Amino acid sequence: MTTIHVTDGAPQFSAYADFLDGESPVVHRVGINIDEGGPDPALVLALPGKPARRWPLAELRALRDQAGKDMLVLARQGNPLARLMVSDDEAMRILSARAPRLRHAPHAPGRGRLLAWAAGAIASVALIILVLVPLMADQLAELLPADGERALGDTTFEQIRTVLSENPLAPVAICEAPEGLAALAKMTDRLIPGTTLPSELNVHILDHDLINAFALPGGQVILFRGLIDAAESPEEVAAVLAHEIGHVVARDPARIALRTAGSVGVLGLLFGDFAGGAAVLFMTERLIQASYSREAENNADIFALDLLDQAGLPPAALASMFERFREAGGEAEGLIAHFSSHPALGDRIARAGELTQVSGAPVLSVREWRALQNACSPGDLTSGGRQRESRKK
Amino acid sequence: MSALADLSTSFVGRRGRLFWLALKTSVLTVLTLGFYRFWMKTRLRRFYWSSIRPGGQPLEYLGEPLEKLLGFLIAVVFLAFYIGVVNLILMFLSFALLQGNVAAYVLSFVGVIPILFYAQYRARRYILARTRWRGIRFGLEPGAWGYAGRALWHWIITLASLGVFWPRMTYRLEKFRTDRTTYGTVTLTQGGGWGMLYPAYLLFYIPALVTAGSVAFVIWFDDEIALIAMMISVPVALFGWVFYQVAAFRLMAATKSAGGVGFIAAPRSWRVFWIYGFGYFLAGLVMFSVLIAALILLGAVLGVSGSFSIDLDNIDSLMNAGLPFWAATAIGVAFYFSFFIGWGVLRQVFVTLPLMKHYAETLSITGVSGLLAVRQTERDRFAEAEGFAEALDIGAAI
Repeated sequence: MTTIHVTDGAPQFSAYADFLDGESPVVHRVGINIDEGGPDPALVLALPGKPARRWPLAELRALRDQAGKDMLVLARQGNPLARLMVSDDEAMRILSARAPRLRHAPHAPGRGRLLAWAAGAIASVALIILVLVPLMADQLAELLPADGERALGDTTFEQIRTVLSENPLAPVAICEAPEGLAALAKMTDRLIPGTTLPSELNVHILDHDLINAFALPGGQVILFRGLIDAAESPEEVAAVLAHEIGHVVARDPARIALRTAGSVGVLGLLFGDFAGGAAVLFMTERLIQASYSREAENNADIFALDLLDQAGLPPAALASMFERFREAGGEAEGLIAHFSSHPALGDRIARAGELTQVSGAPVLSVREWRALQNACSPGDLTSGGRQRESRKK
Repeated sequence: MSALADLSTSFVGRRGRLFWLALKTSVLTVLTLGFYRFWMKTRLRRFYWSSIRPGGQPLEYLGEPLEKLLGFLIAVVFLAFYIGVVNLILMFLSFALLQGNVAAYVLSFVGVIPILFYAQYRARRYILARTRWRGIRFGLEPGAWGYAGRALWHWIITLASLGVFWPRMTYRLEKFRTDRTTYGTVTLTQGGGWGMLYPAYLLFYIPALVTAGSVAFVIWFDDEIALIAMMISVPVALFGWVFYQVAAFRLMAATKSAGGVGFIAAPRSWRVFWIYGFGYFLAGLVMFSVLIAALILLGAVLGVSGSFSIDLDNIDSLMNAGLPFWAATAIGVAFYFSFFIGWGVLRQVFVTLPLMKHYAETLSITGVSGLLAVRQTERDRFAEAEGFAEALDIGAAI
């Protein structure tokens, strides 16, 4: 920027400009010059037939982000209406150099009130997401009839299969080898006597590497192949199954599905993704990761320990499965995150294991265990633990 | 005083300045996780408004970013309640009674439609209330729910009549808005009638009917001969659509008046069609070139080059080839956002600006002496800004 020093000896600056008084749309042609006299030098606007106006140089503000460089639009601080349009090159240069706060942002009025509103708005949204929606979801989950809950579970199951698959046209396969399913049924039958299930229990294995398991509304429990591969014994799988049955009995999945349905849309809204695909994605993600409350998880653990005890299975399997999850490490999600964030819980289970007499027979025979491990690769009974061997490389 | 000459409009915005302004503000928007978008919108509007100079005097945009942020937050509270609570109940009822979620989605969407029209009107009111020309404020009287009701009604009629009454909707909704638009103490009036739009509409409607008929023919008789008819009817319908929009703008501008002041708009359909076609082509070309250059650069930097083929597997292997996970993620996120930033900026430069320039430069104001009677009006304290439109992501161009 060129700085022009106007000294006392310099010729008097004067130019013409367009003036708008903000009262009528009539453009007044005015003469402008700088009055150096007095403590605050000012731009003097000479309006024809009216007294001249003095705009102190320190109060001059140029409008920002203007498209035309051929015109300087000036406002006076504190006067929101009047405008002076200077198109004279010389005058623009001199004013840019002389007006000290020309490029300062004009003071925006009522900033405090705005911020108060903003805080209130954020608090309201937080209240809706964190209090109102969960409260309603919990109430509604109790009221949901069995058919509706099953439909909710089926819908989310399909979404999860699609989201987890790399090919959007081919959802993740459900493992269906008959011997494997028979072994799974045997395990389930060993566990469920003595439980009061809200609806019929339905256990599936999904052909996916994740070391995880989760429950869905309507009494569905999903085990991933990765979990069965990681388990050292069928008792460990049974322990996880017992934990998930605990969620089913407590109807945790229906609650969380309804909660997510309510809050995901709101979050999408905040991040500019109204009714977008990311919302659905996030919802299924939440279900897989099953971020139940700590209380719900603890209850499911206590329930699982009781269930294993009743079935004459070692509760310590829950603890060793927890060790397995910790070894797998890395991405701590859902069940794994729950276990790895509660080492004390692992100790508690371990103690429970020491105290309990294991009375029953093994949950599966060696042959049945192999069948379960191969539930996702039918007709491949000879190479037991194929997946695990490849994993350990 | 009636001898005052008509005022023509000039447009002084240049692509270069817009490019840097749009780029700078877009990058800031991403860096602030979207919060700067209220500032970005404000600054872009200041630029565009000041570009338009009817009679040599630029428009001035006086909207404040903070009031946009506030309006957005207020809208989010209402919509959070709607989406959170109403959708939850709809989802529950849908599963409980119908064992599926389709009903919930449909009802939820239908419930949003009136809010969309409401939001459109409010956004227009806010923008007009923050626009000045020759120091005098524009304005739009309150009436968003009335507008939403009428818009819904006209859409139902239009859909039920298979589009026959579309021009009636165009005219009536524009009249509703225009008759409530003020410039200082003067209120605008929309004259004319909806019949005047029909000649222009036929250029869209007839090829659209031919296209629909051809689709029906292909489905019904399983004979693809009708696709030949579509090869002509689809492009004609596309041009016809632009032609109709431009003609409607021209005809309705010519029949607007405000205390003796009138308007002559003369935008040309071919020019608008060209700006759309060529503008998007240029934007796409630039994006594509930059993408190729970026991929080659990435390959070279990582030293995994050798083949510059761009398939996703290749990028995957690039990512896996010794890059730490966070670095790969950062590059991925940067690519993702750069794409949207780039596209948004190029669209501003190659489409929005040329369109606005064309519409501005072909607009003149007649009966200028009518302006002498205009006086200033009170500021419309409209704290919610265009929050609903922002939250619902409509009319987001500028």
